[in-house]
Amino acid sequence: MAQERFADVVERFAHGYLSGEGPVPVEVMKQWQDEFQRNLKRVQNLTEMVVHPTNPPVGQTPREEVYKRNKARLYRYASRRSHPTPVLFVPNLGISRPYIFDLLPGGSFVEHMTKEGFDFFLLDWGVFGPEDNELSVEECVSKILPRMARKVLEVSGARELSILGYCMGAPISASFVAAYPETPVRNFINMAGPFDFSKVGLFGLWLDKKYFNVDRFVDTLGAVPADLVKAGFKLIKPTMDLSTNLNLWWNLWNDKYVEGFNALNKWANEYVAFPGEFFRQWVRDFYQDNKLYRGELVFGGRPVRLEAITCPLFVVGAKEDYIAPPACVRALVDVVASRDKQYVELPGGHISLIAGRGASLHCWPQVSGWLAAHS
Amino acid sequence: MTEIPSSQQLFELWKKQLEEGAASWTQLLAKTPAPGADPAGFWWKPMFEGGLAQWARLFAQTPVTPDLMTQWKQFLDQSIEAWSKALSQAMNTDAFAQMMGKTLDQWLSAQGPAKRAADQAVETGLQALNLPSRTQVASVAKQIVELEERLEHLEDAIAALGRRLESTPRPPAAGGTTR
Repeated sequence: MAQERFADVVERFAHGYLSGEGPVPVEVMKQWQDEFQRNLKRVQNLTEMVVHPTNPPVGQTPREEVYKRNKARLYRYASRRSHPTPVLFVPNLGISRPYIFDLLPGGSFVEHMTKEGFDFFLLDWGVFGPEDNELSVEECVSKILPRMARKVLEVSGARELSILGYCMGAPISASFVAAYPETPVRNFINMAGPFDFSKVGLFGLWLDKKYFNVDRFVDTLGAVPADLVKAGFKLIKPTMDLSTNLNLWWNLWNDKYVEGFNALNKWANEYVAFPGEFFRQWVRDFYQDNKLYRGELVFGGRPVRLEAITCPLFVVGAKEDYIAPPACVRALVDVVASRDKQYVELPGGHISLIAGRGASLHCWPQVSGWLAAHS
Repeated sequence: MTEIPSSQQLFELWKKQLEEGAASWTQLLAKTPAPGADPAGFWWKPMFEGGLAQWARLFAQTPVTPDLMTQWKQFLDQSIEAWSKALSQAMNTDAFAQMMGKTLDQWLSAQGPAKRAADQAVETGLQALNLPSRTQVASVAKQIVELEERLEHLEDAIAALGRRLESTPRPPAAGGTTR
């Protein structure tokens, strides 16, 4: 059936209603009635949001803290543990809180993985204060991650583990896998983690050493305050808030959407500061000098060469990712020595891989499916 | 097949419609009702007729869905997307990066001395009140972290010793009997 044009609807409406040729067609009346109902619901939900702002209950999948080291926490989630290889999930450090991975029941990556029977561990790097300004990428790779991996093996009783890195958690955990080949890593998964920083897009340009003096920045401020992190991420997509609010208005009649929006909005406005030394090393060695990809990093006295990674590898990039564009994510596939390696590019952006309906349809089943076959 | 209009074309159409709408309203308000005419009918009928006719003319030129609001939402989405692309292109230039770098440098130049002065003032104030400053609290926190690390090293060493002891074969007990 051909799609009806709006002009035809208007014509029918105008002729039927105004010139008195006949009653308004039922479907047109129904359409306006529905629209009216939606608008009423929109106003009702908006009032509710303004008058009674809720604190959405996020991170509801049952878990226990199995280890802590300074601010970092290692959580183990409840599951039937049908796969023998545990999964250590390493997200980004700083920027945002990790409850995005367990946002709401029915819309949680963690919940999906536990339902699929994985013994799932999440590393929460924590929220940093001035006392953490000395924390560096090197310390994360050479001190925190080896211990976390050991704890995962100890607690699970397994001989091997899979490591899943998301965003900057991917290059950090890949550095660990490459520098500590004695760690029994069965699989490595990179979700939207940048590797070739020469292809990293806008952030790469803005942080170029020609324009950005990272030493002066860190020496002056000591750390990167959460507000500055927020400003950077808002600037990279200035129209984001506008389209978010437009979509909110459009879907404001839908209670389910509003529930999801409240949870996501809470997360999207809760930024986490970067420790000063971490930021210095991250920008200088990764963004400005691309040392990880070039194989020039040395952490804990050990060379970090990505070609030392030999385990099966699964890489997921997002087509519209402007934080870690697909080209810089895919680059990992070309440098590792793994024989079993696969790259998939999915629709959506950086966050669409780990939160939202699209993620639960396109991304999570691919990740859990690949991992199940390799665990 | 009708060509899909660009955001700019849609915007022009929307602008035109607004202008025409405003003109109709002015015309309508300037009219005086004919004697014996239904005042309510006078008020709303021409307004609806004029408005809908313009909407019909406007949307007859574009491929649209049956839903007016959907069409409007699509227009806004396209406009935002167009703005987003334009801004991304503008920000993805050396000139913008340079400008941002300079702005940041200037901000840091102002921020540095101000921050140092504020930190110094707070430190002095807290010292006068016999309260620990942020630097002192941070220093204690760092010491705790270091202590934690030493404890972990000790734990590791004890665990390693335990493993070594377990793997070492035990000598038979004196007298050859075991309980």
